[in-house]
Amino acid sequence: MLALLMIITSVSANAQQKGILKLDLNYNYSIPSGAFKNDIISNASPRGVTGALMYGINNKWSAGLQFGYQDYYQKYPRAIYKTGNNEETSAVLTNSVQTLPLIAKATFKPLGGTSSFVQPYISAGAGISMIDFKQYLGAFGSSATSGSFTAQAGAGIMVPFSKGGASGFSLGADYNYVSYNKFDYSNMNNLSLRAGIHFPLR
Amino acid sequence: MKRALAVLATAVVAAVVGCQKEPLGHLTPEETRIYVTNHDSTADFTTYKTYHLADSVAIIDNGYATKELTATDQAYIDAVNKYMQERGYTKVAKDQNPDLGLTVNRIYQTTAGAITYGDYYDYYGGYWDPYYWGYDGYGYYVPYAYSIYQITEGAISADMLDLKDASGSNKISLVWNGLIRGEGIFNASNADAQVKALFDLSAYIKTNN
Repeated sequence: MLALLMIITSVSANAQQKGILKLDLNYNYSIPSGAFKNDIISNASPRGVTGALMYGINNKWSAGLQFGYQDYYQKYPRAIYKTGNNEETSAVLTNSVQTLPLIAKATFKPLGGTSSFVQPYISAGAGISMIDFKQYLGAFGSSATSGSFTAQAGAGIMVPFSKGGASGFSLGADYNYVSYNKFDYSNMNNLSLRAGIHFPLR
Repeated sequence: MKRALAVLATAVVAAVVGCQKEPLGHLTPEETRIYVTNHDSTADFTTYKTYHLADSVAIIDNGYATKELTATDQAYIDAVNKYMQERGYTKVAKDQNPDLGLTVNRIYQTTAGAITYGDYYDYYGGYWDPYYWGYDGYGYYVPYAYSIYQITEGAISADMLDLKDASGSNKISLVWNGLIRGEGIFNASNADAQVKALFDLSAYIKTNN
């Protein structure tokens, strides 16, 4: 009898993902890299969130949509900029970037369906990011809004609140490739670190 | 439990989104200011020896000009005199055939629309009649291209004119201009530092004595 209950319990835990729509909400900390870091924003951004609606295809695979918001800001000390052929401007330069990615995503949990309490995962996705880029010389600025192709690869762990539970903690990291071909910039790539919770939607 | 998680998560999302750093909210008055200079790259500033700086300021208000001299205006005039003389130029009276003519101007635009800096020079003759420099009937000439700045609030400009070559060319050429925009620019206590900033951008303004 006890063995049967354990089988039922383990089957219930293993079957938690399949057919279930989950919402994953995370606080997101983003670290610019490459040209984004060198040319636009070198400061990391602690102002971000990500969310994902993921549907369990089976115990190991899920697919869905990830969305997010990140705010980047950097103010540079006063410097001289060549703004024309024989024109120079002394100004404090400020860059402000807000990104809203929307990514189709798939997640693979190699230990899905087992009794492992900690579930590692890897993920990949692609989509588009709406980018609002503002640049100011002193108090005088311009802004541009555009959509950019975004690709993402990530990894992390999921830990349920209780053994076999469908809700729990999420910890992960993603590398985001964000194409950005305006104003002689090439990309807004970044590394994101996130922590949050996930729970089923019914 | 699930509802509590959803409420908590929504609150975190709202808090983070609400923490967007407003760029203009993190600038001191000094940091809002920009200093822009432009010059004729063919002008040799070492060949000019003397200058005359107009002793009043043109107030260009929504396209119409008057002359005025407030304490702030005087502070700007004093600062321009100071830095021109530091660069080796000698101040002379207007009727002593100065090589360079300088003006300081306050620009305001409070009605709808904006002053485009290109238009500013198109109407410069209305602010400073060439007769003022002793060249009645002459026109002003801007030999270089400059960025188009739309002035929607206020700005201070300083303009340097080539009077030495005016009679030979039948026109008064602009050889240098400086523009100051931002908070606190119409403040006498800021005048010296702001004019210095324009001259710091213009190392080529110096004469051989």
